Amino acid sequence: MKRLASWGLQTALGLLVVSFAAFTIITLMPADPVEIAIRTWNLPATDETVAALRQDWGLDRPLISRYLRWGWDFLHGDWGRSFRTGEPVLTEFLHRLPLSLSIGIAGLCLALMLALPLGFAAAVKPGGLADRFSRLLSVFTQSTPVFATGLVLIWVFGVQLRWIRPFANDGASLVLAITLVALHSTAVLTRVYRQSLQEAATQPWFATARAKGLSETQALWRHAHPSAFYAVLAAVHSEAGWVIGSAAAMEILFGLPGISQFLVQSISMRDQMVLQSYVMVVAFWMVSVDLLARLIMLRLEPRLT
Amino acid sequence: MKRMPLPLLLLALLFAGGLWQPHNPDAVDIVSRHIGPTFTHPLGTDHLGRDLLSRLLAGGFRTGIVILAVGVIGLVGGSLLGTLAALLGGWREVAILKASQMFIMVPTLIVALTAAAVFGLSPLSAGVALGLAAIGPLTVFTHALTRRVLSQPFMLGAEALGVRSSGKLFRHLLPNTLPSILTYVGNQSGSAAIAYASLAFIGLGADPSLPDWGGMLFEYRMFVFDDPMLVLWPTLALAGTVFLFNRACDR
Repeated sequence: MKRLASWGLQTALGLLVVSFAAFTIITLMPADPVEIAIRTWNLPATDETVAALRQDWGLDRPLISRYLRWGWDFLHGDWGRSFRTGEPVLTEFLHRLPLSLSIGIAGLCLALMLALPLGFAAAVKPGGLADRFSRLLSVFTQSTPVFATGLVLIWVFGVQLRWIRPFANDGASLVLAITLVALHSTAVLTRVYRQSLQEAATQPWFATARAKGLSETQALWRHAHPSAFYAVLAAVHSEAGWVIGSAAAMEILFGLPGISQFLVQSISMRDQMVLQSYVMVVAFWMVSVDLLARLIMLRLEPRLT
Repeated sequence: MKRMPLPLLLLALLFAGGLWQPHNPDAVDIVSRHIGPTFTHPLGTDHLGRDLLSRLLAGGFRTGIVILAVGVIGLVGGSLLGTLAALLGGWREVAILKASQMFIMVPTLIVALTAAAVFGLSPLSAGVALGLAAIGPLTVFTHALTRRVLSQPFMLGAEALGVRSSGKLFRHLLPNTLPSILTYVGNQSGSAAIAYASLAFIGLGADPSLPDWGGMLFEYRMFVFDDPMLVLWPTLALAGTVFLFNRACDR
């Protein structure tokens, strides 16, 4: 219980620091929102309008009080308005989040589902087909960005085989996007899982298990798997960050209407509130994945230090 | 230390490609659009008649800047903070580590994405942002490594022999930690090249007419039907560079 409270406190503190850092940097943006608003909404560019807008948005007040006001509004569901659409940012995000989230979550889950059997097969037979394939995959995903792989796949499936309609916002694109997002994490998690299995197999208690008459595969699954799975969960955190970046590239490549696409469309208008909300959503995602992984780890290993 | 020349040679090649190109990479030539490989255009031209090889070379220069900036900033900041944390100990160690962990909470790409949105995307701005974001994980890595080396018996021996602290640092500690740190930095810079390409592809604050490999892939993605080579060459250039760079840093 004490541990959970301390995690919660750390998480809240982290979110606070991230939000303040993002707010400061975004306010430093070398563009005046008032000027943009006047241009986009065709307001008269008189001194009164400028002063009224500045006062209305609190731009004449110091950074700290603006941050506090933003934080208060943010917590109460007022995420500001988008310059481009004139709609509240929260509405737009709620509309687009399900798609982005499902790409991210499905990508991570698919990676976990693929990584465990692949890593296990690689550990059972080092140098075998699964081992060599997973090594190839990890070298490949480390040096080729996911959108380039996606373009090649579009060429293969869309142009050569004509299985999918290229750049169409349909189910096939979604499946392809999720698969591509999962590729990098699959490679990383497979290698982590395989390495931990191998390490566990050198421990004395593994020899004991073998001496009891378990086969190599049985001993690996019964005795090495728990600790190796633990290592995989610890690696999920950094993969959660990768998934965000890949999902953003996939939304652009396939034209999927997620939050990253919204950000890209908004940023040419210097839409500060959209950028700030985006950073906060990403921070929430990272924190949630981290907490979930830690909770599962706590269940697996109550002696967690 | 012996393996430093290879990555540096690769970087030098990338920079050399930026200094000389067979054609002006921005010269539009509407008459010769989408022509295949010829003697004057070894890789052909794009939809505006710009020479693809020249654009690839110019993009290599920009990628090289990102790799160099991330490498230098990450190496200096990360090894300094990590070594300091391990040597100082006490509350300062805790403070440095906690701060680094806080930085790790935000994904590298999001830091660079925010910087690109605010200041516009250029190789230098992206390189600085990605480099600063790389300091966090590098600090944690260096700290763990330094602690391990510090606990070795030969460090105690040096202490007992009365070696001065500067001697301990430069003769005994750094020679044992730097090779691994360099490998790690190399991998970080390699993925930074990928991250920069992703940013240029996503197109946040980027000028699409500039010859970035990622931006070229975004621009040429619509020609995947008629002229797939336009997509293939930038992909190969990027993947080849990062692969070779990672390989060169690993040994």
